[in-house]
Amino acid sequence: MSTLVLPDQQVRVENTTVRHVRPTRRLGASLRKTLYRSGAIIGFLLVWELVPQFVLEPASRVFLPPLHEVLQQLWKMIISGDLGTHIVASLGRSAIGFILAVIIGVPVGLVVAWFAKVGDFLNPLLEVFRNTAALALLPVFTLLLGIGELSKVSIVLYAAFFPVLLNTILGARSVDPLLIRAGKTLGLNNFEIFSKVVLPASVPIIFTGIRMAGTSAVLVLIAAEMIGAKAGLGYLITNSQASFLIPKMYAAILTVAVLGFVVNAALVALEQHFSRWARA
Amino acid sequence: MSTIEIKNLTKKFLRSGANESTAVTAIESLDLRIEDGEFFTLVGPSGCGKSTLLDILAGLSTPSHGEVLVDGEPISGPSLERSVVFQQYALFPWLTAAANVLVGLESQARHGQGPNKADRRARAHEYLRLVGLEGVEDKYPHELSGGMRQRVAIARALAHEPKVLLMDEPFAALDAQTREQLQDLLLDIWKRTRTTIVFITHGIEEAVYLGQKVAVMSAKPGKITEIVDIELQDRQAVDDIRSTRQFGEYRHYLWTLLHRHGRQGEEATIDKTLITSGASA
Repeated sequence: MSTLVLPDQQVRVENTTVRHVRPTRRLGASLRKTLYRSGAIIGFLLVWELVPQFVLEPASRVFLPPLHEVLQQLWKMIISGDLGTHIVASLGRSAIGFILAVIIGVPVGLVVAWFAKVGDFLNPLLEVFRNTAALALLPVFTLLLGIGELSKVSIVLYAAFFPVLLNTILGARSVDPLLIRAGKTLGLNNFEIFSKVVLPASVPIIFTGIRMAGTSAVLVLIAAEMIGAKAGLGYLITNSQASFLIPKMYAAILTVAVLGFVVNAALVALEQHFSRWARA
Repeated sequence: MSTIEIKNLTKKFLRSGANESTAVTAIESLDLRIEDGEFFTLVGPSGCGKSTLLDILAGLSTPSHGEVLVDGEPISGPSLERSVVFQQYALFPWLTAAANVLVGLESQARHGQGPNKADRRARAHEYLRLVGLEGVEDKYPHELSGGMRQRVAIARALAHEPKVLLMDEPFAALDAQTREQLQDLLLDIWKRTRTTIVFITHGIEEAVYLGQKVAVMSAKPGKITEIVDIELQDRQAVDDIRSTRQFGEYRHYLWTLLHRHGRQGEEATIDKTLITSGASA
């Protein structure tokens, strides 16, 4: 039996490529970077605060109240719990529709991708649906399902379903064939190739679809709520406008913006977590 | 350890054209016998069908005519008995190095063979150590260099102790220094395990350094033009065997064989008997 003399040294050298930077300098640099990046937002908020006060005439000022009035109104709505009720109503509908879309979209996408004939058959129809704006179908949903929760959740489900479905198909189809070949030579049968190679390999692309679905779930719901609803942020916006409670309307819009931002950031974090290995 | 017999093997591909499909012959009437425990290298220009041949040996592709027998049994698909190391590593990027090595062992376990769970982990670590990778068990492929990835791939191919190791230009994507290290590593492993190795390369020097036999392939259609016995002493016992006269003669002889087929009709300028007599000296 000969002993193995292995070039350990080389392996270790290959491994040390981390650059060392002094922590204080890094902190200062990142602070400056953060400031620079939030500059545009701060500028925008300043314009919002100052232009209505010093530039606009009192008549038009009514339609665009300065930021501090909107924030005061927002604070009142938070304290009263009014805002919370609407947020819960909206988020609940989005979440149910979105989760259903993921639960249905991923398995259907995998089946379509795995069975090429099913895919060939369904693809033209999917393309038609995908390119039909969800909101164009809102009247249809309202006619068939009424103006209650069912039609709201359904339109969210519809809007979120296609990004999930299409990205799952794309992900499963774009798996490196080499990995499938490697899996076969390592004794994996067809089902194992699917569950242990195709599925994990498509996770990053599937999560991109899930992120897109989450964003459109919120966007479509707000619009749907503006057309017919008794609660929710979309309802709050149109209702405030109709009641001429302009600061309240802006407070609701601001809430929608923050909510969209938070949902997207959460989904981006989730996406990055599940595709850490793909960052080569 | 296994004997591989290839009998009258032909592989044709259908290339779909505008109106009709034309058949392209990748390999034509190829006969070859690879002995048990042999280190067999195949060298040839790109497009000569050597990767196609390896695919058929791996069971990833089926012959159009003829048959391939491993220990007298025809190949009926991929098998853990015949492991493959690919040029592009083909590691599963979502699995750690150790988990990659475990894939074959776990397939084996599902068929009721191989070690139990605790021993499988130990075996994965043992094979990573064998390829010189201690301490990277929990690293992901993207955290490793090309050389380290190919070491993981070799460990993964060997951990379930296959009878045949098939290697498709495994070191072609590596830099020269890393390549030489891995060539020596592979020779060490082969000496220890005596696994039958079929090694495909387009590097003449690599073929001579590693192989006990070198088969020279020519393209269009792919066939083996000559099999050369390499009778060099233990590669690692001599300092820089690549610079010895004998090694150079083998290298040149194979070079001539490969280039003769570019220019039909010309004869190899080196007499083969010269080399074989030199080997016994």
